[in-house]
Amino acid sequence: MIQVAQPKKSIEAWSLLHGFVQRFVALTEAEFRAWQPFFEIRKFDKREVVIDEGEQEEFLNIVVNGLVRKYVRQENGEVTMQIAPEGHMVHAETSFHKRQPSKVIVETIEPTEFISISYKNLQELFNKFPKAEKMARLFVAEMFIIKDRRFFEMVKKTTREIFLDYITSHPHMLQRVPQKYLASYLNIKPETFSRLKHLLRKRKEN
Amino acid sequence: METLLRQFLDKFLILPDEEFAMLSERAQIRHFPRRTRIVRIGDTEEYLNLVLKGIVRKFFYKGSHEVVTQLASEGAFISSSISFLSGEPSQYVVETLEPVTLLSISKESIDELYNTMPSMERLSRIITTELYLQKEEIEQDHICLDVKQRFMKFVQQYGELLQRVPQKYIASYLNIKPETFSRLKHHLRSPSVVTT
Repeated sequence: MIQVAQPKKSIEAWSLLHGFVQRFVALTEAEFRAWQPFFEIRKFDKREVVIDEGEQEEFLNIVVNGLVRKYVRQENGEVTMQIAPEGHMVHAETSFHKRQPSKVIVETIEPTEFISISYKNLQELFNKFPKAEKMARLFVAEMFIIKDRRFFEMVKKTTREIFLDYITSHPHMLQRVPQKYLASYLNIKPETFSRLKHLLRKRKEN
Repeated sequence: METLLRQFLDKFLILPDEEFAMLSERAQIRHFPRRTRIVRIGDTEEYLNLVLKGIVRKFFYKGSHEVVTQLASEGAFISSSISFLSGEPSQYVVETLEPVTLLSISKESIDELYNTMPSMERLSRIITTELYLQKEEIEQDHICLDVKQRFMKFVQQYGELLQRVPQKYIASYLNIKPETFSRLKHHLRSPSVVTT
């Protein structure tokens, strides 16, 4: 039974990757098959540290199944910088690209399956396939734009707007992510977060 | 100008001479008097700029309040980069603080070079990644470093800007209250800091 289920899951991972790449560059089936050996599928339990502070990040990961967060450890607790569901990229970017120890921690929230590429394989992919360069350029540009958009939202919106807009655009996160991580990610005090959540429930009832 | 551009690009990618020539012949020199708004809110950024001379700042408005997000001097990149990449109207103002000379390349030229210059995709990918990581670092510094650490890091990296840039802009960039900034600057001058 397990043997039957296994390849099915893998196909899902590969088709997710193909879809991910296709958003940026058109890739024929043959081209995609040539890319495939550069990637690997990695699995983690829930609450498993994928990369710790001080470690060298060797992988770029895309979430196939599961939920992952990236955070920094502070004297007075943790600050969540990213919460990555299916289809999102998550890794210690600076450590990966600059080849230096990570300042961030990447940890799973749920059991997680990644499709990953190592630093070495990525460089080789760039050398062999010019389309990979283009895809990476467009992808990083998109990440950059998203980062800036989030920055503006955090600066310009009120706490209440930040909360409501996030919950509306990510309706499942409230169930899947421990509240303290969401609160930290949205830079909202835990008490305020609870109060806003309560408000939301009241609104639905009416 | 060409040497400067070459030195700058070598940090990212060593280009073959003929490819460098293709790039540099499309680059243009632009001069601006001090206090010129090169990009205003709502403009679409058409250029990637390298500062050859002078200082440029980038900021946005939070209400009527200016928040500085970048101070660029000689050898640094400055553009309303998100607008450049997305083609959307700029949410930032790019303004000169001194008379400024920029080495600029237009979006149109870059798009052409993707078709004709083999290393252009790679160069662009590396530079875009660099810009992204800079943003990531700034974000992390604001979370992980306290006011004094942010100040000291700035002094170590961009000490000379302390003399050239109005204090309020640096304070805004570091998200430090102007009074606190003055105090930190004063401490820097007093000998006690030398031992730390």
